[in-house]
Amino acid sequence: MDLDRFNRLLLESAGVGFALADPESLAIRFSNPRFAEWFPDSREPVARLDALLEGLDVDRMRARLDADQGYRTELQLKVNRRQITLDIDIKRHSGDDADLLVVECQNITKLKELEYMVESYSKMVERQNRDLRKEKERVEKLLLNIMPRTIYEEWKEFGVTAPQRFDSAAVLMLDFVSSTEMDIASDPPALVAELNDIFTSFDRIVEQFGGERLKTIGDAYMAVCGVPEPGADDARNIARIALRIVRYLERRNAAQTTQWICRVGINAGPVVGSIIGVQKYVYDIFGPGVGLAARMEALSGPMEITMPQDLYERIRDDVIVSERGAIEIKGFGSKQVYTLEGMTDLDDRHLH
Amino acid sequence: MARSALERYGGFPFLSRLVMAFYDKVLDSDDLAPYFEDIDMRRLIDHQTKFVAFLMGGPASYTNDHLAHVHARLKINRADFDVMVETMRETLADFEVAPADISGIVHELQVRAPWVISASDSKDEPVPA
Repeated sequence: MDLDRFNRLLLESAGVGFALADPESLAIRFSNPRFAEWFPDSREPVARLDALLEGLDVDRMRARLDADQGYRTELQLKVNRRQITLDIDIKRHSGDDADLLVVECQNITKLKELEYMVESYSKMVERQNRDLRKEKERVEKLLLNIMPRTIYEEWKEFGVTAPQRFDSAAVLMLDFVSSTEMDIASDPPALVAELNDIFTSFDRIVEQFGGERLKTIGDAYMAVCGVPEPGADDARNIARIALRIVRYLERRNAAQTTQWICRVGINAGPVVGSIIGVQKYVYDIFGPGVGLAARMEALSGPMEITMPQDLYERIRDDVIVSERGAIEIKGFGSKQVYTLEGMTDLDDRHLH
Repeated sequence: MARSALERYGGFPFLSRLVMAFYDKVLDSDDLAPYFEDIDMRRLIDHQTKFVAFLMGGPASYTNDHLAHVHARLKINRADFDVMVETMRETLADFEVAPADISGIVHELQVRAPWVISASDSKDEPVPA
């Protein structure tokens, strides 16, 4: 086979559309079968490139060709009901024998389809990621409600948390005097609404002094300062929290019909903090620090805050107390016990 | 959590080949192609990608209302819907998807018929209100 015949065959059978046009008039001088299939009018004697390639920016094309650069564009057309995308490459060929525009068209429909598909899929995945992020934030918020942030971070990173010992956690225990006999006890939704309101206010007070509410059991409330991050002011802060909680209830009782009478015990002592449970997580603390706070609460009269000597010794310069004398406390022996009346700071001096 | 069919068959690389083949078959079909003649290719591919991903348990979600909304304009009838289901079945078989998975995917498609079909079988008849 001679080269001319080979070239002709190649032109005729190629998947690439190929045409030659006059650089000035843009009249089509030649088109191969593929080009003619996409642009049937190209075989008409009056066929012009700018008429065939709809939307061709002739000025821009000429500017690029005059600067000896190729011109490239994409064109969409419909062939046998199918929308196809062509990549059109136009170059100027100036030689001794001829001056022509060489037009090459490649069918890039599949590429385009894939491009759209990737676009569509990545949008889907982005959206899914956004949803997952939101869900994660929601779960995190829930978990932060039941455990301190540092514990949560440890748990998230390692999947487990080691129980931690705190030598002097400041613990507050509170419950309400004969709340089961209150009138409101016969109306559970109202009771829950009031408790919710009260505990939410307690939470704010606790938070204000850097403490954590650990849990509520029924109408009992437990908060702690210095877990999981011990601070120099934990003992004083637990006293401030206790005073403010009592003051809050006094004000509330003055304005409302239902009277909520609390007893509060505070203590500072050794505890162990840990996440408890596998399926249901609870961050909780245990140990003598907690036990003694509970005993102090039991010793309190209505609206009283009770603390043991060890705690009193540590904050004696800052608190105003009345002595209750030595009391035998189950599991802890005989201890001096004090009722907290106020703080020596101006702000807390006149509690009652 | 159980892995979705899409994950098991290889995620996006699989999906793209499947959707491309399905798209070709649909547009080569004398029954189905006319529905999409005036639909922009980009939109059609976007929808097919999301919908097939959805059928295979991928990261898209379609409510029935949404399906009804995007298909209302096409006025698809029952016979052509069945052709479309068969085309999907064939395409999945071409890609050697396990028969159990094909049944699952085709079932997902079939239960959505009420929201996709919006014309009676004769194309000339007006659509019932």
